[in-house]
Amino acid sequence: MNEDVKKLIHDARNPLNNISVNAELGKLTLETINDKEKAMAIFDTIVNECKRCSQSLDVLSSYLKDSKSSPDE
Amino acid sequence: MAKILLVDDDQTFVNTTRELLEMLGHIVASATSFSSAKEILNRQSFDHLILDLILPDGSGLNLLESIEDHNSCSVTLVTGHPSVKSLVKDLLGPNISYLIKPIDLQQLKAALDTTTSSIAELNSDKDLHFGCLVGESKPMTNLYQQIERVAKTKANVMLMGESGVGKEMVASAIHSASQVKGDLVAANCGALTSELIGSELFGHEKGAFTGAIQRKEGVFERSNGGTLFLDEVTEMPIDQQPNLLRVLETQKLTRIGGTELINVNCRVVSATNRSEAQLAEEKCLREDMYYRLAVFPITIPPLRERKEDIPLLVEHFIKGFNREYESDIGVDEKSLERLSTYDWPGNVRELRHAIHRAYIMADVTTNLLVLPENFTSPFSKAENSSPGITVGKTVEDVERELIESTLKHYDGDKKKTAEVLGVSLKTLYNRLNSYSEETA
Repeated sequence: MNEDVKKLIHDARNPLNNISVNAELGKLTLETINDKEKAMAIFDTIVNECKRCSQSLDVLSSYLKDSKSSPDE
Repeated sequence: MAKILLVDDDQTFVNTTRELLEMLGHIVASATSFSSAKEILNRQSFDHLILDLILPDGSGLNLLESIEDHNSCSVTLVTGHPSVKSLVKDLLGPNISYLIKPIDLQQLKAALDTTTSSIAELNSDKDLHFGCLVGESKPMTNLYQQIERVAKTKANVMLMGESGVGKEMVASAIHSASQVKGDLVAANCGALTSELIGSELFGHEKGAFTGAIQRKEGVFERSNGGTLFLDEVTEMPIDQQPNLLRVLETQKLTRIGGTELINVNCRVVSATNRSEAQLAEEKCLREDMYYRLAVFPITIPPLRERKEDIPLLVEHFIKGFNREYESDIGVDEKSLERLSTYDWPGNVRELRHAIHRAYIMADVTTNLLVLPENFTSPFSKAENSSPGITVGKTVEDVERELIESTLKHYDGDKKKTAEVLGVSLKTLYNRLNSYSEETA
C-alpha cells in the first residue's frame, strides 16, 4: 500500500474514532448526569464527524479511481 | 483516580476523551502539540500518559524520552493500526499499552486499569500520611496538623514553598482529608494563555467564540463539591484576576458567552513558589485576591529543613521503583548518608530524580543503588562553599562573601561589581585591599 493511501485511510480513521469516543461519552452522559442538552451537543459532534469521515472516504475513493485509470500508477 | 496527560493533535478527540476520563474520576491535562505537551511535562508529573505518536511539531517518541528522565508514569500509545505495536515494542519496553482506533470505553478503562491499581497499591502504604505524604520530622508533623485542621473547614488554602517541595501532594492530602464528595480538579494557571484562562476556569457556551463548538464546563464547575487546585496562581495575568475574585466572593459564575448564574461550591487550594515577601514586592497577585485565596496559608518546608525524612523518602521511592520494575534494589548505609547530608535545592522532586537515576545505574551483583559522584543538577542553587547568612557569622564575613561572590560572578569586573553592589569603586578597592592584607 503506498503512502498516499495510508495517509487517506488515516484521515478517515480519525473521524471514525471521534464517532466512537463521542458515542461512549453520550452514553455515559445520559447514564450518569442525564444532561440532555449536553447529549444533544455530543450527537451534533457525531453527525459532523460522520460527514468528515464521508469526505475522507470520497477523497480516498477518487484517488483509487485515478490511480487505476492512470498508466503510471 | 489517576493524573493523566492526554496528547493528540485532533482537538475533537482530545476534548471528548478528556471529558470521558474526567467522568471516570481522573484528573486530566491535555495538549495538542509536542511543544505544549513538553511544557506541561516540565511543570507537572503524571501517573499516565496517553499519546499520539505523530504530532504536528514533533514525534511523540521524543516526548517519551524526556519523560523517562523526569517522571515515572505508564504510557498508552494511541494508534490507528495494531502493527505499530511491534514497531515500537522493542524500543519502549513492557511498561506500555495501546489504544487501537476506533477507541471504546472498554479499551480506555483497560489501559488505565494498571495505573489505577498501582496507585491504589501505592496509596495503601501504611507509612503514608493522607495516602500521599512521607515524613515524620517536626516540620512535617506540623504540616499534617495544619492539614487536619483546615480539612474540617471550608477555608481556601494557599500553599507556599520552593519548587519541588510537593505542593500538589499537599493539595491532594487536603482533598483526601476533607472527605468531600466532589473531585479534586487541577488547573495550572501558568500554562494557560490569557485568552484561554477564562474558558478553562469558568467554561463557555456553544458559539461563545470561534472554535467553541460545544458547551464546556470550567474547572470551577467540575470541582463542585470537591477541591479546585490552582497551581502557579501568581502566574495568572493580573487583568484576569478580578474575574476569579468575583467568583471567589460570590460563589457564582457565568460561563463565557452565557447568561445563567451557576452556583459553585468548592474549596480552592492555590499554590505558588513565591514567598510572602515576593508576593508583596512583585505585585503579581492583587491584595484582595490574596486575602480570598490565602484564608489559611500553609508553607511547605524545603527538604533541607527536614533532612531526617530523607531515609524515609529514599525508602519510599525505591519501593515504588521496585514495584514498577519488578526488582529488588536496596541502598547501603554509605549512600544513605550521602543522600541525607546533601542540601537538595530542588527538594523532593530532585531527590526522586536522583534516586531514579541511581536505580537505573544500580549494581546488578549487589542489587544496591549506585549514586553519581555529585548530585549537582543544572538547577542546583547550592554551591560547595555554601555562602550565605547563617547564625554566628559576622556582618563583615557576610559582606566579604557578598563582595567576593559578586566579583566572581562578573569575572573580576570591579567597575560592574561596584555598580551592582551600590558602592563606589573606591570603597570596593578599599575592601578588597583589606581582605588581601588579612590573608597575607
